[in-house]
Amino acid sequence: MRRFKLDGLKLGALLWAAGLALPFALDSSWVSIAAFFAIYAITALSEDVILGRAGMFDMGHAVYFGIGAYVTAILNTTLNVPILLTLPLAMLLAAAAGALLSAPLIRLRGDYLLVATIGFNAIFVLAMQNNPGGITGGSDGITGIGVPSLFGLQLESQSAMFWLDWALLGLVLLVMRNLDTCEFGRALRYLKQDELAASTLGVDARKVKTLAFALGAALAGLAGTLFAVQLSTVSPSSFVFTESVTLFAIVIVGGQGSIPGVLLGTALMFVVPQIFRSLAEYRYFVFGIAMIAVMVLRPQGLLPRKRSAA
Amino acid sequence: MGTFVQQIVNGLTVGGIYALIALGYTMVYGVMRLINFAHGDLCILGAFVGLTMLTGSAGGGHPGAALLLLALVVSIIAIAGAGVLLERIAYRPLRKADRLAAVVSALGASLMIENGIMLIWGPQVHVFPSNLLPATTWHVAGATISFVQVMIILASLVLMAALYLFVNHTRFGTAIRAAAIDQDAARLMGINVNRVITSVFIIGPGLGAIGGLFIGIYYREAYFTMGWTYGLYAFIAAILGGIGNIPGAMLGGVLLGLFNAFAAGYVSSSWQDAITFGLLIVILLVRPTGLLGERVAEKV
Amino acid sequence: MSALLELDGVGISFGGLRAVDDLSFTVNEGQIVGLIGPNGAGKTTVFNMITGVYKPGAGAIRWQGNDITGAKPARIATLGLRRTFQTIRLFTEMSVFENVRAGYHLAARQRWWQGLLALPAQRGEEAELAARTHDILRRLDLESVADAPATALPYGVQRRVELARTLAGQPKLIILDEPAAGLNDAESAALNDTIFMIRETGVTILLVEHDMNVVMQVSDHIVVINFGRKIAEGNAVSIRADPAVIEAYLGREDDEAAAA
Repeated sequence: MRRFKLDGLKLGALLWAAGLALPFALDSSWVSIAAFFAIYAITALSEDVILGRAGMFDMGHAVYFGIGAYVTAILNTTLNVPILLTLPLAMLLAAAAGALLSAPLIRLRGDYLLVATIGFNAIFVLAMQNNPGGITGGSDGITGIGVPSLFGLQLESQSAMFWLDWALLGLVLLVMRNLDTCEFGRALRYLKQDELAASTLGVDARKVKTLAFALGAALAGLAGTLFAVQLSTVSPSSFVFTESVTLFAIVIVGGQGSIPGVLLGTALMFVVPQIFRSLAEYRYFVFGIAMIAVMVLRPQGLLPRKRSAA
Repeated sequence: MGTFVQQIVNGLTVGGIYALIALGYTMVYGVMRLINFAHGDLCILGAFVGLTMLTGSAGGGHPGAALLLLALVVSIIAIAGAGVLLERIAYRPLRKADRLAAVVSALGASLMIENGIMLIWGPQVHVFPSNLLPATTWHVAGATISFVQVMIILASLVLMAALYLFVNHTRFGTAIRAAAIDQDAARLMGINVNRVITSVFIIGPGLGAIGGLFIGIYYREAYFTMGWTYGLYAFIAAILGGIGNIPGAMLGGVLLGLFNAFAAGYVSSSWQDAITFGLLIVILLVRPTGLLGERVAEKV
Repeated sequence: MSALLELDGVGISFGGLRAVDDLSFTVNEGQIVGLIGPNGAGKTTVFNMITGVYKPGAGAIRWQGNDITGAKPARIATLGLRRTFQTIRLFTEMSVFENVRAGYHLAARQRWWQGLLALPAQRGEEAELAARTHDILRRLDLESVADAPATALPYGVQRRVELARTLAGQPKLIILDEPAAGLNDAESAALNDTIFMIRETGVTILLVEHDMNVVMQVSDHIVVINFGRKIAEGNAVSIRADPAVIEAYLGREDDEAAAA
């Protein structure tokens, strides 16, 4: 068991290192797809913290992704704050939103939380469209977001941005792995499986769940910053309810609480549609059928989480 | 005063439609604990099937009530059939699985139906014929009431009353209520739960098809993504009344329709949806089980 | 002997039905106290009130003299008061080891960010708590099934896993809700030894049990309730002879036989 886990880690590290070479092997449009994969993988992993690990039905996760993107876009375009400085702020604000929005709703039973988070998503998108205070740019959004610079180096090229995204994905993967083997991560699983039993063992459900929401939102905020940079523009349509549904589906289709599962799910739900762009019309029809088929054939997801002893 | 009465009439019309669609959500949830995300799309599929009947055979002039009735019947049968099929293929194999698997399956079904509509009928907005019903209007207390509105309000009321009587005063209705409270116990009492579930997937989408067609007739348009919008509203209505609770869905639908009409009448329309969702969240916080309470038992 | 847990006139109603009424008793440190009563007497309800699952409608519950009435389950747990459930509640998707390790949740001092960064102090604590988990598993003879999925095991073993989880983290008092339910004779006999063994380690025990043999053999003090009210209290000998107890159980003789 233990040997296998180490091998899994090694394999992951190896794949990640190999990924660094992608810009040398692919043309720029594919490098851009790879960069989007990294960004959406971080978002999906952040949804997994809340949905897959803590078992809270969050179907409005695009909100936190969006908050991250808008924070970076607004700070960078109006106050000229350097991109990499906006990143911690994006994470912090997304985390605060996650904690604040979830705190009163956490005691709700699964389906009600799901409905409430759908509501948050709808309100968020409407708010961005209605351009409150003239800061969100309405339906057109915000354009002209700058490029990040690291130690005076402008990360302008597609490859440089890819490496930034890829490096941060690596960090997030490490955090997700550590989550498996720390008390906080286990507390999430206790709560997911039996909240009453967990609380009689001293797990403070309210605190742990709020923290999970904040962490998931913070990581989504991080991805939001990267997203804004990658597109150099943000608009409400990138954070609509359908995006939340896709993130939700990635976690369930891939495998709840399973890192390889979520990565595979991201690849299937975000990258494959890019490949079949020419079939645009049939794409989502086939997609819907595939979602049903995967669930019926593999209800636990494509790569379910392994039972582990340690 | 005129606006006020007008909003009430508009609200009741839309509310009746919401209620018809909400019943499908609430009945399925009651029996299976499943949010059938594909329900809204089924309803709009009903509108498209009906539209095809209406336009395909319209030989000019007044199509008349008979044609409308035929379109309704065909649409109901088609959508009820689709509902039963959907349950067999996408939900029945997942009854014992993790609940979230069924949720994702439902989301997939929604995507499939929505885009299936687009593939068949195209992405453009379809206009419903304007000569379906008499253009008669009445003026009451400064408000204008159209024939369509009266028809929708009356038809929704009659259908809801019929469903209420069926569920509360027939043997099969009792079986549905029993299965909603405790499936296992119902099975032990000799109730054929599979039949109950099939019936729920006939009644819900059947009523939904009527609701979908009413949307088309009332707003005089249909497009493929409509299912999400109206489905979500109807779903909110079901939650508002207490999910799983049949009278609750009726009440929730009517109240949401009125609420929306007044929000549209008195508040900026660009914030209308935000207000509706805000109301939903407030209700969930203050009274999570809805106005009439949910009909879902949970044991500690 | 000092009082660890006191119930003082505790009561609760469900929809107009008084499930527990004016109930008072005391559990002293180091004691094994048995709470018995016919079916539906309100025993599990009493446990649910002590452990914060239900909030009492009347009366007070005190822990070492401090009022803990209506405190939440997670806070009750921090006092060193743990419980098992009548219907075993193990974490279904976890191994035996992981289930028992869950009992050390409060013993873990690591902060969440230390865990996410996998700092050395956190790693050290993980290793230490894993070792302590293995100690408990050994003591309850569960080491050989440590890696098995908890819910795939026989019922009797699952009960022991739940007991092990309860003992992890050195509780002061454990509450056992029908620990002998579903056990065979051999397992039931072994349970008596286990209960004594637990007391030896300085843990006070309050148990609800249907199996009169178990209760009579292990309890220092017995509280009998019927229809939510206390009808007798004392040691095994006095309880056996108590007319009110005999009357309460006599009408239920058939049920008891059927249940056993």
